[in-house]
Amino acid sequence: MNTCCRQLAALCALSLRELYRRKDVWVVFTLGILILAPLTAINPYGVAGASRHLSEIALLLIWVSAAIIAISVAGRQFPPEFEHRTIYPMLAKPVSRTTLLAGKFLGAWVASVSATGCFYLAYGLFSGAKMGIWFPAVFCQAFALHVGFLTLVTALSLLGSFCLTPPANLTVCGVVVGGMFAIGQRLPDMTAGHPAALRALARLIYVAAPHVEFFDLRRRVIHEWGPVGWQVAVAVLLYAVVYAGACLLLAGWIFRRKKC
Amino acid sequence: MDAISIDQVTKRFGAVQAVSDVSLTVRSGEIMGFLGTNGAGKTTTIKMLLGFFAPDAGRVRIFDADPVAATARGRIGFMPETAYYYRYLNLRELLRFYGGLCGMSAAAIRARTAHLIPQVGLVDAGDRLLAHYSKGMLQRAGIAQALLHDPDLLILDEPLTGLDPLARIQFRDLILALRDQGKTVFFSSHELSEAELICDRVAILKQGRLVWLGSCGDIAGDGGQNLERIFLNLLTSDTPEAPP
Repeated sequence: MNTCCRQLAALCALSLRELYRRKDVWVVFTLGILILAPLTAINPYGVAGASRHLSEIALLLIWVSAAIIAISVAGRQFPPEFEHRTIYPMLAKPVSRTTLLAGKFLGAWVASVSATGCFYLAYGLFSGAKMGIWFPAVFCQAFALHVGFLTLVTALSLLGSFCLTPPANLTVCGVVVGGMFAIGQRLPDMTAGHPAALRALARLIYVAAPHVEFFDLRRRVIHEWGPVGWQVAVAVLLYAVVYAGACLLLAGWIFRRKKC
Repeated sequence: MDAISIDQVTKRFGAVQAVSDVSLTVRSGEIMGFLGTNGAGKTTTIKMLLGFFAPDAGRVRIFDADPVAATARGRIGFMPETAYYYRYLNLRELLRFYGGLCGMSAAAIRARTAHLIPQVGLVDAGDRLLAHYSKGMLQRAGIAQALLHDPDLLILDEPLTGLDPLARIQFRDLILALRDQGKTVFFSSHELSEAELICDRVAILKQGRLVWLGSCGDIAGDGGQNLERIFLNLLTSDTPEAPP
């Protein structure tokens, strides 16, 4: 293993330890699984619609938990290092700031993907036991796109951690992600009939904002509609990579200029 | 080759002149104490030595290389003033993390950890979470992480803070042993008596200016003066003096 890989591995292991040694994470896990189990495993009154409704709630729970974990883990990568002064021995080591940022991103990404993977595994096992279909293609595709969502959100939160205080970052990222889920697709239509300047602003926000709703295949999973075309899935994953890359480039630019 | 070369370095933060025209060299294999009151510019100078930020004017070199270069930083071991290391790690894990950052192999980290933990007096606490460490124990952990990659130059920012008398004696012995191994030690401190005991040379900073630079041998032969008296005279005088 070369020096850079060792440095990335060390930073990644630190983020994973930080996440999995927190008691509150295990509380979230336990509660999440306890709630997921009845939502996905039971078929109330044998009515398919009710069963689907419960599955929808279960998947929503997974999405909300994954978003909270990704935003909070990524947002906690750098501020405590400055607060506890551990950034100094870190920067004094023969490691570049770019590698530090890449390692912190990788650590936060692996931590949130692994946590989300556990929820998906539980969902897949419970619903497989109920339906008799184990991990169908659309379910696997939904997880792959969810990983794309986590890539984007992790980079966004990491960037926010350099510009905002941790609570403000958590709030802003939460509002952006929640807001895009709620109105992301309808943003240009909402300003139709308004002055041109407002329409242009809405168009600008539409282009610049992270389209997290692209990654959401919940309805396809619930209604068993089958996976989307692979070209679409690849394009969406590419969008996540490009958006995350842009956020990380900006974060790197800020970090390199930051006086410690 | 000089371990540290600071040449007419100046640093300003807004209206505050943190460091003003400081020139100083630290020879390889010597122990230099960097003294001054709070806000004298010691930590700012140390941060420039580590390449955390560049001076506004002047030049800083570490073993004749730019401190930003990885080759220079690979030869530096740094211990910051009172760092609160990761609460969820134990000392072995902390050293594994820093070893990884230095690009060391797992076997090399294990070997150095086995050597360092007894050296800093934390044999019984190696597997305990850092959350349960006292301030003094965290300082020792800080020394261990600074020494992990066997650096040629050790830069310590207020290393004696929080150490009990026994730990101070152990620290003193450790620093002297490191010098005997050919290492260079540069440390900032308020502890004049400790500095006088272990330093080959001492530099005193006042309001960002270097006001005194000399060997501890000079102090002993200077009409019964001691470092405390010199320090007091320099800091109570109104005008900054030039270094002798």
